Amino acid sequence: MDTTPHKNRIGEAVRRVEDIRFLTGKGRYVDDVKLPNMVYAAMVRSPHAHADVKSIDASAALEIDGVLAVFTGADWKAAGYGPIPTKSAVKTFKDGSPLKEPPHHAMAIDRVRHAGEVVAVVVAETREIAREATEAVEVDYAPLPAVIGIKAALAPDAPQIWDIAPGNLCLDFELGNEEAQKKAFAAADHVVTLEMVNNRVTAVPIEPRGAVASYDKASDSYTLWNASQNIHANRDTIAEACLKIEKSKLHHIAPDVGGGFGAKNGVYPEPILVCHASKLVGRPVKWINDRGESFLSDTHGRDQISTVSLALDKDGTFRALRTETLGELGAYCATVGPFTPTGGSARTQGGPYKFDAIFYTAKAVFTNTALLDPYRGAGRPEASYQMDRIIDYAAANLGMDPQELRRKNLVPRDMLPMKTPMGLDVDSGDFPEVYKRLIAMTDRGGYEKRVKESAAKGLKRGFGVSAYLECTGGGPKEHAVVEFKDNGKVTLAVGSHSTGMGHETSFAQVLAGHLGIGMEDVEFRQADTDATPIGGGHGGSRGMEVGGSAVLQTARAVVAKGKEIAAHLFETSADKIEFEDGSFFEPGTNHTITIRDVIDASNDPDKLPDGLQPGCLNIGTTFERGIISIPNGAHAGEVEVDPETGVVKLVSYWVVDDFGTIVNPLLADGQVMGGVAQGVGQALMEEIVYDENGQLLTGSLMDYAMPRADDIPTMHLAFYEGAPTAKNLLGVKGAGEAGCVGAPPVVVNAVCDALKEYGVKHIDMPLTPEKVWRAIRAAGA
Amino acid sequence: MYAFEVQKPADLDTAKRDFESADDGQYLAGGQTLIPVLKQRLAMPSTLIPLDGIADIAGISVEGDSITVGAMTRHAAVAADKDIAKAIPALSKLAGGIGDPHVRNRGTIGGSLANNDPAADYPAAVLGLGATVVTDRREIEADNFFKGMFETALQPGEIITAVRFPIPECAGYVKLPNPATRYALVGVMVSRSGSKVRVAVTGAAPSVFRATDMEAALTMNFSPDAISGTEVPADGLNSDMHASRDYRAHLVGVLARRAVAEALA
Repeated sequence: MDTTPHKNRIGEAVRRVEDIRFLTGKGRYVDDVKLPNMVYAAMVRSPHAHADVKSIDASAALEIDGVLAVFTGADWKAAGYGPIPTKSAVKTFKDGSPLKEPPHHAMAIDRVRHAGEVVAVVVAETREIAREATEAVEVDYAPLPAVIGIKAALAPDAPQIWDIAPGNLCLDFELGNEEAQKKAFAAADHVVTLEMVNNRVTAVPIEPRGAVASYDKASDSYTLWNASQNIHANRDTIAEACLKIEKSKLHHIAPDVGGGFGAKNGVYPEPILVCHASKLVGRPVKWINDRGESFLSDTHGRDQISTVSLALDKDGTFRALRTETLGELGAYCATVGPFTPTGGSARTQGGPYKFDAIFYTAKAVFTNTALLDPYRGAGRPEASYQMDRIIDYAAANLGMDPQELRRKNLVPRDMLPMKTPMGLDVDSGDFPEVYKRLIAMTDRGGYEKRVKESAAKGLKRGFGVSAYLECTGGGPKEHAVVEFKDNGKVTLAVGSHSTGMGHETSFAQVLAGHLGIGMEDVEFRQADTDATPIGGGHGGSRGMEVGGSAVLQTARAVVAKGKEIAAHLFETSADKIEFEDGSFFEPGTNHTITIRDVIDASNDPDKLPDGLQPGCLNIGTTFERGIISIPNGAHAGEVEVDPETGVVKLVSYWVVDDFGTIVNPLLADGQVMGGVAQGVGQALMEEIVYDENGQLLTGSLMDYAMPRADDIPTMHLAFYEGAPTAKNLLGVKGAGEAGCVGAPPVVVNAVCDALKEYGVKHIDMPLTPEKVWRAIRAAGA
Repeated sequence: MYAFEVQKPADLDTAKRDFESADDGQYLAGGQTLIPVLKQRLAMPSTLIPLDGIADIAGISVEGDSITVGAMTRHAAVAADKDIAKAIPALSKLAGGIGDPHVRNRGTIGGSLANNDPAADYPAAVLGLGATVVTDRREIEADNFFKGMFETALQPGEIITAVRFPIPECAGYVKLPNPATRYALVGVMVSRSGSKVRVAVTGAAPSVFRATDMEAALTMNFSPDAISGTEVPADGLNSDMHASRDYRAHLVGVLARRAVAEALA
């Protein structure tokens, strides 16, 4: 790894400074927040997927020693709180009518609509008593038929979950030019169609969700510590929409957060409930979800069924693409739930390939299950899977070479900048070069030998590729503020928010590198609504793109102000001062002063020019990006499949990514590796399964399979840095989600390649041993 | 987890007394099943009686043509034992493939057998190698020990103290792990000692069982080919979201052939 000094430290593989803290048990997560007089809340959750709540009797629970309070939906309603609103960027049906948004209260009022929905909250002196008392709350349910599965929900005779949403339809959507698509289909030599499932998964962050709320009666305000990825936006929602207080009355803090992956983006019921609980009992209240509750109540991701049609000519040239998606929402509209299967999955349709026309339609559908919200990639992995899967499926059906189809149809560099048929602005990149570099890494020359070696073990070897297009940036604005302290340290607070990605390192690297100070002098302040006036949190791979740019912009503002101070000390004008490697100097003179001395001067009224006040280097700036940036890249992998058992082993993996400028290659590698592992998990083993009554069958890690280290091969990663973007100050394109955008199609393509001699052309994820075995048997039959 | 009392006996007699005096006593061996069950509030014993303070029920010894493994011996110790690796490498492999390093360093052979999880590995070793389960009051042949799903011949309060494995001429163990738990979706232990062949299958049915048709075929000809046409009926096998009974029946055949090949290798 290159550790040589870089200009402004951009590109330097700085090791993560936070890891010592995390790995030695010194992280400070929500469950580490311990306040005097604190008590505990536990949730009474519905065992039914769909039922009327006839009555709730809490008297036995209230008699348990140590139980302080029990409250229910009736209490909630009486208190006048508001429902949690959706913030979906797509808000209307195709015909312009508004999406169907049923009221999503923090607890069920008189009907439950998914197993795990909160029906009552117990507050007690200890966690154990609270938990025990939940079992003493007697709830009388009248079960209703449950609606499980997207197609079942859309069936004409399906039970209706919401009166306001006929047919269980929340929203329909379309993007692209249908007329052009149809014309291209009619003119093309071939149209290949495949229905494919993007399996339902959940994030399983190592830190479960949790919150501590402390209500202060004197100021009528709340402090809420919350394992959240997005404290500013969620502060606004919780305060204004739900608690109906001014947002200044809610101080929202996310200390260290142990993984989010999108599942901690949205507003959840429980943190709001503990705010109420704290006000009710007059003491701080903690609630921590256990793992089983997490499977029931965390948001899930993916869960789409798509019919994908690719029109191509007999020479392999792509003409048009049509995708019709049915996407599941669960029982309510989550914070951005309706956006994922609609706009979120539409934007990168077609990937980095050239098309005359693309047309995308979607329906977002209610079911009696937990809610769906972003899951790493939120639509782009779905689009990438659809595109790269239909390529291999078309190649298999038409006798073409899938890699040659990719190479032939990638958008050439001289077409950039361009606007894709889905409206994305691609300003930079070189898709064919990235693809060429990927294939060069994969040792095609040695492949036949490896196939033979696998065959000698009774295994079938296969090779799969994907070429992806991403769009990243998340919330467009970010704030970064620095405060230089007397002890020589500088505090850096950024509204963007780490759930483990390494902001404490990479943001400090940008600031320290630009100012020429030591990284050890930078103290990072994690998400806190008192620390920055705004903040876009974490999501959409925005950390470095928007947050890093805000840090750089603030650093530049510090340098600009520092020049005024240096000029004053040198008795010259600021425009004559230059800054490099931590020193201000006036070229052609012996005038030079270190930034450390300028920082000291900034706090000394005697050394400041008129108009500057002590502390003038304590600066916060807000960066606002323009259009979202377009990372891209290509993945490849080889698998060995045991045809007798159906067991798939991923044995090799290669990636070339264009993330523009790489600020810290070590951290970027980590993002890619984690993303690939997550994508491989989805492709091979992860799946949330409900039975027909809406009972969650994968309610623990005994049944929900997660990839382990030995399921993941060594990855060979490379970055293409020839096309930095001009859309942000650092030239970066988001790196956080790309790994799981590229990986699933690689795995499925490789398995289908391995099994082509049996005639297997498609298997829906996850590729469990039995499914693969059955596919071999069915194809061979 | 519900509240419970804890006793810490240092010898077997005390442990038994602790059990008898408790309202609902529960021995704790390695805790790799019991602790998660307690955490999920699926059991509420009045008293836990950990057995790890009892010195003379752990450890491995070779005596003539058998190897004795103390009940409180951890899986990792079995996997790492040089005598076992030499005498019954299939047992080393089996122990080294249980769960993950955490499980192997806490879980014990006695705990695993007393629990008799349908998908546990050790029942296949005990039945497939024709071992003897030694308790505080008697010896139980493997064929009489496993009685059904999570059921054994153990009486209330009876404590396994050791397992005695006869050293076979050869043996092999092959399993297909459940991707979530790494328990056996199906695992097959095959052994041969003279004219005696044993084929024990775990994971496939409510309890470990012997595949007698395969044993008969392998007694005639101990080779994978001898059982290429021998099927285990799918009726009565486990069927769940991880594997259907048809698939499990198929796996029994595949893994048995591989176990024979491993035994011969």
